Order: sequence, then C-alpha cells, then structure tokens
Amino acid sequence: MAIEPAAELATAVPEAIVAEGGGTRVAGLAPWRIALRRLRRNRTALAFGALFVVIAGMCLAAPIYAEQVAHTDQFKNHLLEQITIDGVKRDVVSPSGVAIGPTYTGRFLLGADGNGRDIAVRLLYGGRTSLMIGLSAAPLTMLLAIVVGMLAGFHRGWVDAIISRALEIIWSFPVVLLGVALGTALALGGLKIGPLQIDGESELIPILIIAVIYVPYLARPVRGQVLALREKEFVEAARAQGAGSLRIMFSEILPNLSSTIVVFFPLIVANAILLEAALSFLGAGVRPPNPSWGTMISEGVDRIVTGPHLTIVPGIMLVLAVLALNVFGDGVRDAFDPRAKVRVKHR
Amino acid sequence: MRKQASALAVATLVAIGAIGVSACGSDDKSSSGGGSTSGGEAKKGGSIRIGSVLPDSYDPVLLQTIQGNQALQLVYTGLVTYKHVEGAAGAELIPGLAEALPTISADRKTYTFKLRPNLKYSVGSAVKASDFEHTIKRLLFLGGPFSSFSTVIKGAVEYQKAEKADADISGITADDATGEIKVELTAPDGKFLFAIALVSAAPTPAAKSPFKRSNSMPGLGPYTIDIKNPTREFVLTKTPGFDIPGIANGNIDTITVVKETVTKMTQDVIDNKLDYMTEDPTGGLLPEVKAKYSNRFRMDPNPPNTYWFFMNETLKPFDKLEARQAVNYAIDSRALQRIFGGRLQPSCNFLPPAYARIGYKKIDPCPYGDPAGPPNLAKARELVEKSGYKGMSVTVWGNTKDPRPAIVDYLRDTLNEIGFKAKTKLLDQQVYFGTIGTKKTNAQIGFTDWYQDFPHPADFIEPNLSAKAVESTPTFNFQFKSNPKIDAGLKKLGGEADPATVADEWAELDRAIIEDANGAVYGNELASSFFSERMDFENCSGVHPVYRSDWSLFCLK
Repeated sequence: MAIEPAAELATAVPEAIVAEGGGTRVAGLAPWRIALRRLRRNRTALAFGALFVVIAGMCLAAPIYAEQVAHTDQFKNHLLEQITIDGVKRDVVSPSGVAIGPTYTGRFLLGADGNGRDIAVRLLYGGRTSLMIGLSAAPLTMLLAIVVGMLAGFHRGWVDAIISRALEIIWSFPVVLLGVALGTALALGGLKIGPLQIDGESELIPILIIAVIYVPYLARPVRGQVLALREKEFVEAARAQGAGSLRIMFSEILPNLSSTIVVFFPLIVANAILLEAALSFLGAGVRPPNPSWGTMISEGVDRIVTGPHLTIVPGIMLVLAVLALNVFGDGVRDAFDPRAKVRVKHR
Repeated sequence: MRKQASALAVATLVAIGAIGVSACGSDDKSSSGGGSTSGGEAKKGGSIRIGSVLPDSYDPVLLQTIQGNQALQLVYTGLVTYKHVEGAAGAELIPGLAEALPTISADRKTYTFKLRPNLKYSVGSAVKASDFEHTIKRLLFLGGPFSSFSTVIKGAVEYQKAEKADADISGITADDATGEIKVELTAPDGKFLFAIALVSAAPTPAAKSPFKRSNSMPGLGPYTIDIKNPTREFVLTKTPGFDIPGIANGNIDTITVVKETVTKMTQDVIDNKLDYMTEDPTGGLLPEVKAKYSNRFRMDPNPPNTYWFFMNETLKPFDKLEARQAVNYAIDSRALQRIFGGRLQPSCNFLPPAYARIGYKKIDPCPYGDPAGPPNLAKARELVEKSGYKGMSVTVWGNTKDPRPAIVDYLRDTLNEIGFKAKTKLLDQQVYFGTIGTKKTNAQIGFTDWYQDFPHPADFIEPNLSAKAVESTPTFNFQFKSNPKIDAGLKKLGGEADPATVADEWAELDRAIIEDANGAVYGNELASSFFSERMDFENCSGVHPVYRSDWSLFCLK
C-alpha cells in the first residue's frame, strides 16, 4: 500500500504551516498527525465539536431522564392529568385544549404538547432519532459513494458513463423534493427488495432515502480524485507487480481518499440531520408518534402563537446540532485539506 | 360526507316536517328583502371580506366542500332549496325555481315540478324546464361527488353506462312550453328531494353548460359570481332585481372572498381586516378567540356530524364483538374533548343530536357508560382478555389534518392500555379515506367522521354501515361488513318521504348500531362562527343548518 502524502504535502503543508506563523519544522510527521495537530489548534472547531458531543450525550440519556425525572415516556398521553406546581393543581391540558407551558420542574420541564406528552422527554428522544438517522445515513452515503465513485473513476468507459448518468439523475432533483417523493411513496407500502422487507413506518426508510440522495454529492468528488490517482506512479507500480483492479482500488487508491472521507463525514452528517428534519416536517420522514426534531417542529406550528416554545425549542436544538457539526466539519476540512485554507487566505 | 371533503349540509331539527309548507306561505317578512335574522332589523348594503380556503370547484355539479357550497348556493338555486333562515328551520325544504314543492305520486316514485313563470338567468336568458334534465345529465356524465344521489332516477344508470352526453334519461320529462318537469324514480327514495335541493342539481342554461368542467356558467340566485383568480379570490355581487318569494336576496351588496391560511385569517378577523372566516380558528388561537372575543364568536353543531373510530369487522381482533366493545368501554371523550379544543360534544349516538325530529333519541344510559364520564378500563381489559386477542398488534389509521394525528395517538395510547400492542399509521388526508376504504389495505381500526350531505338519517347510516356501501370500492363502510339489522332497517325506512314519521324506528336503528359496536362513537364537533367588529353579530350571524353559514343573511352594524 502506498499513501500519497508526498505530492500534497510537498507543496501544501509547508506553506500552510508557515502561513500559520510558526515556521515549525514538520518534516517526519505523518499527515494524519499533522492534521490532528492543526485540528487541536482550532479552538472554535473543538468547542463546537464538544457541543455536539454534549447534545448527543443528553439525547442518549433520554431514557434515564424520562424514567427518573419526568416519570413518563415519549409516547404517554397525559390529557386528563393534573400536576401540582407551587402548591397549585394545574391541568396538563385544559378542557379548552391549552397545554401546560414550561414548569421548570422535573415533570413537564418544557411543558406539554396537545396530547399532554412531556416536551422535554420528546425533545431528547427526538434528538436520539434525528442523530441516529443522521449518523446512520452518513456512513451509508459514504459507503455507497466510495464504491460507485471508485468504480466510475477507476474503470472509466461505459462503467463511468452509466454510473455518472445515474448520479446525474439523482442530482437533477432538488434534495427535499426527491426526499418527499420517495418518503411519501414508501410510507404506505414500505420497501420490498427480494427478501429485504422494511415497514413503511420504520426509521430505516428515512435513513435509506437520505443515504441515497446524498450519494452524488460525495461520489462525484471521489470519482474525480480516483481519476487522478489511477494515473499516479504508485498505481502503475502496483499494476506492474501484477495487482488486480480490486486490490489496486482497495489497497492503493482507497487509503488516499481517507482525507476526503474524513472531511466530508461531519458535513454529510449535518446535512443528513437537516434533511431528516425537513422530511419529517413535511410528513415524509419520521412517522408520528415517533418524535424527531422535525416532527416536533411540525406539530408545534399550529400552536405557534400560543405555544411558541413547541416549535422554538426543537428548532434551537436542531440549529445547535447542525451548527456544531458544520463548524467542526470546517475545522476538520481545514486540518486535512490545507490547500483549501491557503485558497481562503489568498482571497 | 367527510369533513375535508365536506359538505353541503347540515343539521336539521325540523327538516321534513316542513315539506308541506308552501314557499309563499313560509315567507317571512324579511326574506324577500334579505332573509330572516335572529331578531332585529338587518341593515342593507355595504361590502365585506371573507377569508376562506376557497371552493374545491366553481362548477356546481363538481363541488364537494362546504366552502364551495356556502358560496355557490347564492349563485345557483335549485327547483327546491333550503329555507334561508337561521337555526333549525333552515333545514326545511322550500320551493326554489319551482313554484311549489312537487306533487308526489301515490307510489312515491313520480315527482312533478312546475317552474315559476318568467324566470331569467343572470345573463338574461330564460330558465327552461329542459335545463334541469341537462344539469342532471352533466352531474351524471361528469361524475360529480353527488351524482350517486341521482342514480335512483329511472334511466340514470343506463345514461351513465352509455357514456354519451346527448343520450336520454328516460325518467325525466321536461316541457319547456308549460315548465313542467316530471321525474320518475326506480323505487321510492325518501332522500331524493333533499338531494335535488343541493346546488349540484340547480338548473343552468344548457347552451352555456358544456359537458366539461366550467367556471363560467350563469345561474339564478341572489348573487352573481366574478372569479378574479380561481385560487386566490372571487367576488359575489347582488343580482339586480332578484326576487323569488322565500329566497333571501342578501343584505350585503358585495362579498369579496380571499384565500388565506387559517392562522392568518384568524388573526385578520381579530384585527378586523376580514369580516368572517369560513374555517374554525386555528387550534392555538381558539382559546384566545373564545376568551377575548366572545361578543363576536359562537359555536354551533353545524353541520351535523358524528366522529367515531371504525373497526374492521373482517379482521382480527375486531371480528369479535368483545374486542369492539372493549374499545367502546375504553374511549374517554373527556380526553378527546381536550384534543378538539373543547369543540367536541360527547355522545354515543351514531345519529347527531340535530336529528331530534327525524331519528335522534339520546341513548341513555349508553351501553358503555356515560360518554361524558370516565371510561371503564377494567371492563375493557377484561373484554380484551376474553376475546383471546390480548397482546395482538393493531395499527391505528389516521390522517394528517389537525387534530387528527392527536386523536389517533390518543387511541393508540388507549389500545395499549387495554392490552393491545398498537402503533399508528398516518396518511395525507387527500388519500386517506380512499386508501382505508380499499379492502386490500386491511385497515384494522382508525379515525373516521361524517358530515351531513342533507338532513336525512339515511345519509349517515347508508354510506357508512350498509351492505350496499360495502359493494363499492373504495367504500365508506370501513367495517367491511354490515349489520343485518341495519340493512333491514334501511330497506324498510329508506323509502319514507318523511323520516319524521318513522323517527322512532330510525332511533331504534341508531341504538342497534351502538349496541352491536359497529364502531366506537365519541361525539359531535361544534363549528365556530367568528366575525369582525363591523358585522352585526347579534342579528345576522347567519348560522344555517345546511350551509353552515348563510352569507345572504349577513349584515353590517
């Protein structure tokens, strides 16, 4: 296997490091270590990365919060219950349908929705759903994109033609429009491909839809890189030694795509979370009563005048999670792709 | 009809009792000048703006929604029509373009109408007897939502099958010279006259009414319509010289109807930028509207409606009576009332309370406990256990229109409490009823409702519960099975011209539906009327049992 730091680092890394003012000697350091060192120096990116970890940690703790603090679950209706706040009994949902607002106590911390469900509990469970979909869709996107991108770039010819046209077809649709179309179509009958059968209500549906929709956005740059890499000397050397196509692709070319993959991953996760929220908001993603930040925003829209927190709180969580991933992703890109930073500096 | 496809329609306390009342005899003083008000004298003139989601169609034979019916009933008048007065009396049939209610033959199969003399459409052409046959042909040819009500006319089914616009309907004979229209039915049908009073059967000039969708057909009514933009705005203007005894000619000179979202129209009525809204204030704003603007807001059970959970009796677990009864025992209407924002009247009758004169008799005690009281969950669990289906997976179906997802989620939670393993499935409201009404969908249980098409008990029972309804695809009989008692009752009572004469038997049928748990009824929704400060809310609220609100009765302060 040959990783190809030489060409990139020979030109880009010294410039970038010097541009950061250190004049530090970096000779002898592996590219990954250099990148991590750059990332460590980017305090903003690390702070937002930490924010994402905190959000994810809170969401993972949802069952504990629900059971130990809120004493309910994400689905339980409390339409006729009363709770005591400061010695006063209050309806969770009034006879005229007004849900209780934030109590700032363990139960109904952020209030209740129209079914008397605890908003705080659903917010955390919704976060689990949104993050789970984002974090599941992104690796699937990466996997599909790398496979098709490598096949197209390495084999060129008719393989490239077919794959590229297929990617262009997907790309030609606006992301949300395609997502809504697929989500709506699959919601009723589910997905049946041979022995694989997925129920229309399953969260696997939005995962698959999001994963497929974003494939062209990564597959095309991968294909471009592979087209360049396949002409490199180390690939020719491997070929001369008798290596087959598969071996060259996975042993010689794939390792050289690693920085691209690492740079794209947080950005794809952020986009996947955002798309999941958009699809769920439009009724084509996560199916109620399962909470996700998108479905919670959608459910709150009708009550935005009297209960703005129903929409604002999941909206803020969504913004924070996506912002954290984007800023962290930018930091990763800056660390792994110094040329991008140089270009920015030259503007 | 389903609410979203909502309807014409409405309540009736008095309905048919008034069939014998002649148009002239039923005129009240205000009707010739502007319709009956609640009390004081209605002020004439002025312009108002109404917020609406707009009609689903401007073609009278194709419209289906109450928003369409509210507007177009002012533009197109039928041979018979509903009285333009507030309250229950509005469900009375009165002569429209016909000079009197029809004479009905002894075998109740032939109806004879006679047109009023010298009637002219808004464009100046004379109203002809043959225009009625042309309208029924358009209705059948274009397959309008209410066309099924006309298939009882002799030759109507054959006309539909022929698929030729100019084919003949043998059961309709029209004489333009005398203005006489004779309609023969294949069998006595007590619903027929009520269906003929719908806007979809109002005559329009044959020469200007093509056998395709049209937005520009002239009619004869108290107002004429000017569609500025079919998806944005239309204007109703008083028809000069309109004067048909008994039919209100409108107080307001110009009514501009604009499309807005429900949230915006609510805010605009609050701010007096709109004078009325055709929808109920949006969920979040309703409590505020009720509390702060009670002097211009009211709620009424119009149009008559029933909300219930259907249970597919051909599928497990609801093929067993115990399972269906368990659901009935478990439903808590107090909880559902909160979901409806307080706009639900708990009930266990299938027929709405507005049908007191024609078949509603409060089932008391309800077999499953007081509908306004707590549920009997212990009994429900016991019945589920007894059914042998404890722990069975159940999918609760519903649609996305607010507050239906909340209703469906409530049922899911309740079914889980009594021993089932429930999950929900929500579909877009546009495809919902068609999907669950298809047998292969295998919808087990879910949300459904019914809004009156016309004031007759059969309008509720026949499409939703009869064997005849199961035969059509998609069907509204989501039980996919009929109760023999219901079919026998419909056969016996359906032909009666006046359901009031057999009201007790309709009530027995209603009781049988509930006792056999052919659904889990939980109540009737109240509709709201919300006006600006400019409107004379006290005297001219226009609440009407068929049109929900009759705009010809509106007036300014």
